[in-house]
Amino acid sequence: MSAVVDFPVKPEARPYLDAFGSGDPGRRAREPDWLAGYRGRSLARFAELGFPSRHSEAWRYLDLRALEQTPMLPAGAARPVAGEATRAQLAVVGFAGAAYRLVLVDGRFSPELSAIEGLPSGVWLGGMAAAVTERPDLARSAIEAPLETARPFAALNAAFFADGFVLDIAPGVALDRPVEIIHLASGGTGSSLHTRSLVMAGAGSRASILETFAGHGSYWRNDVVELRLATGAEFARVGLVEEAPDALHIGEMLAVLGPASRIASFVLLLGGRTVRHEATVQSQGEATHCALHGAFVLSGRQEANIVTTVDHAAPGGETREVFKGVAAGRAHGAFQGRITVRPGAQKVDAHQLSRNLVLSPRAAIDTKPELEIYADDVKCSHGAAVGDLDEAALFYLATRGIGRKEARHMLIEAFVREAVELVGSPQLREHLLSRLARRLAMLEE
Amino acid sequence: MTAAAPMLEISNLHARLADGREILRGIDLSVNSGEVHAIMGPNGSGKSTLAAVLAGRDGYEMSEGTVTYLGRDLFAMPAEERAREGLFLAFQYPVEIPGVNNMYFLRAAINAQRRHRGEPELDAGQFLRAVRAKLKLLDIGEDLLQRAVNVGFSGGEKKRNEIFQMAMLEPRLAILDETDSGLDIDALKVVARGVNQQRAPDRAIVMITHYQRLLGYVEPDRVHVLQGGRIVECGDKDLAVELERRGYGLLGDATAAE
Repeated sequence: MSAVVDFPVKPEARPYLDAFGSGDPGRRAREPDWLAGYRGRSLARFAELGFPSRHSEAWRYLDLRALEQTPMLPAGAARPVAGEATRAQLAVVGFAGAAYRLVLVDGRFSPELSAIEGLPSGVWLGGMAAAVTERPDLARSAIEAPLETARPFAALNAAFFADGFVLDIAPGVALDRPVEIIHLASGGTGSSLHTRSLVMAGAGSRASILETFAGHGSYWRNDVVELRLATGAEFARVGLVEEAPDALHIGEMLAVLGPASRIASFVLLLGGRTVRHEATVQSQGEATHCALHGAFVLSGRQEANIVTTVDHAAPGGETREVFKGVAAGRAHGAFQGRITVRPGAQKVDAHQLSRNLVLSPRAAIDTKPELEIYADDVKCSHGAAVGDLDEAALFYLATRGIGRKEARHMLIEAFVREAVELVGSPQLREHLLSRLARRLAMLEE
Repeated sequence: MTAAAPMLEISNLHARLADGREILRGIDLSVNSGEVHAIMGPNGSGKSTLAAVLAGRDGYEMSEGTVTYLGRDLFAMPAEERAREGLFLAFQYPVEIPGVNNMYFLRAAINAQRRHRGEPELDAGQFLRAVRAKLKLLDIGEDLLQRAVNVGFSGGEKKRNEIFQMAMLEPRLAILDETDSGLDIDALKVVARGVNQQRAPDRAIVMITHYQRLLGYVEPDRVHVLQGGRIVECGDKDLAVELERRGYGLLGDATAAE
């Protein structure tokens, strides 16, 4: 069945339109009118945009042809099953330290796998589907914010998201331990999982989250998370992508920074066939601090892109970016980092570093810094490098009896570790390093 | 000298760079267990090339000659195997390795050697005890060990770190490449003390140096003069003193006249 539409539709969007017309009538009956309207508008937007073309700068390094040829329609409305395999997966990827844990299975909140009790007062944590009805005050304003630019997958996400998480922190509240969000995929094939999440960090609040993406099967995860930091809020997000070997992961993080707020974002991309992480930070208040760091480690035929945009619209902001890339086998990685300083955003101080290791002749990494500066009293700089391991260091290690394989491993680990050490929490750092060690053990097999 | 075979036997060694330039042009050298040798010579004589070739650096072609170490063909062993068999090179310019913790690195080195010898690996506690015992010897603070290998070390710290690694690895044959260069007199004394304390009957030490200075603190059994890729003169410690007085220039003339 084809939905009757009165707007232009790109051919690759057609199957999604059809799915929207036919899928999950129960959900639409439950959902408020404002959300139904928003979904409809978003779908129209997606239909008009179609998939991003490689001619568009932000997508030039990612090959989406397979997805264009074979649609991956949203997963059905079945309640998530916390089966044996899912529990086993949770035990592998879970953070061992103390945390408030919220688990999503196949894009839906799983209360039985989550442990969110004991949160301090003033903190609301729950699924997005629940928030839509229980806390429309939170959900509506954030979700309905207009999609101003051409973000086709965010639009598709808005049309289809089944769930996600919402974290609301009242002004002045400091969370005593991290919030751990785990996105699992239970092994479906050929479908897409759309999750939409929201963090509202109140004035002067302090919190951190660890978001882990893992799964079995061949699926497309399309995740959008939005962070809103009020005046003086401090918020840290660690994203750990350990998707299944056949998975496609497209993740978007949008952060809006109020005056004197501080955001620290770190992403570690380790697993998935094709992974894209896009972070957009809008520094709208004065004297914000933005630390945007990350790394990817790729082998085989993996592909990963990190795309960042920091937009300084107000004076006195500070941005620090360190991104490291490692590619072995026939993998391809790319980093695109844009920093914009708008007219009047004086005294902005921004530095970006992109360093990359290409470990085999058939692997490649592209790196593309873009500074757009329209204010005259600013400090902005960037550095980028792509190279192989240091032969002098390998020889030095060999003269100490350390074999070539171990020496290479040591240098690769050290290279990525330098970025991981920028994560503020020692426990989260240790967690990331242990996941990294596991990944590196399989890198050059 | 005993009738036992020398620890290191270099015969007619020729080595050239990839571009064809011959740097070593027929070296003969024999080093016995328990001995300390000094190899002196002006810049460009091939001293550091000799050290690099013995330690196994890539980029040289050994066109002629043989090197036997502990009865084995040295060139049949890759660099890491030479190290595990007890050959140690103290670098003239120790390499900085960002992100690799000095302690972690050293423990990996020691355990690689122990595995090679079929010995159990050292755990963190055993390793730390061994480290503390040797740190004092070289006046090295424990904080240095928590830093990345050689990163941000002063020149003196780098050289002391090399000799400290030697003390930890307890090599059979140690080659010290210009270990005295760039050291002030106090640092030189510390390094010399470290080397002297490691003289042992079952160990040989080859010091490569431009100057006689270090030899005033670490007295060699034999002194060799390397010039133009050949050993042109041998003697005892007095040769070093004489060279300091008359310089390498005269020798150079003598060689050319041969």
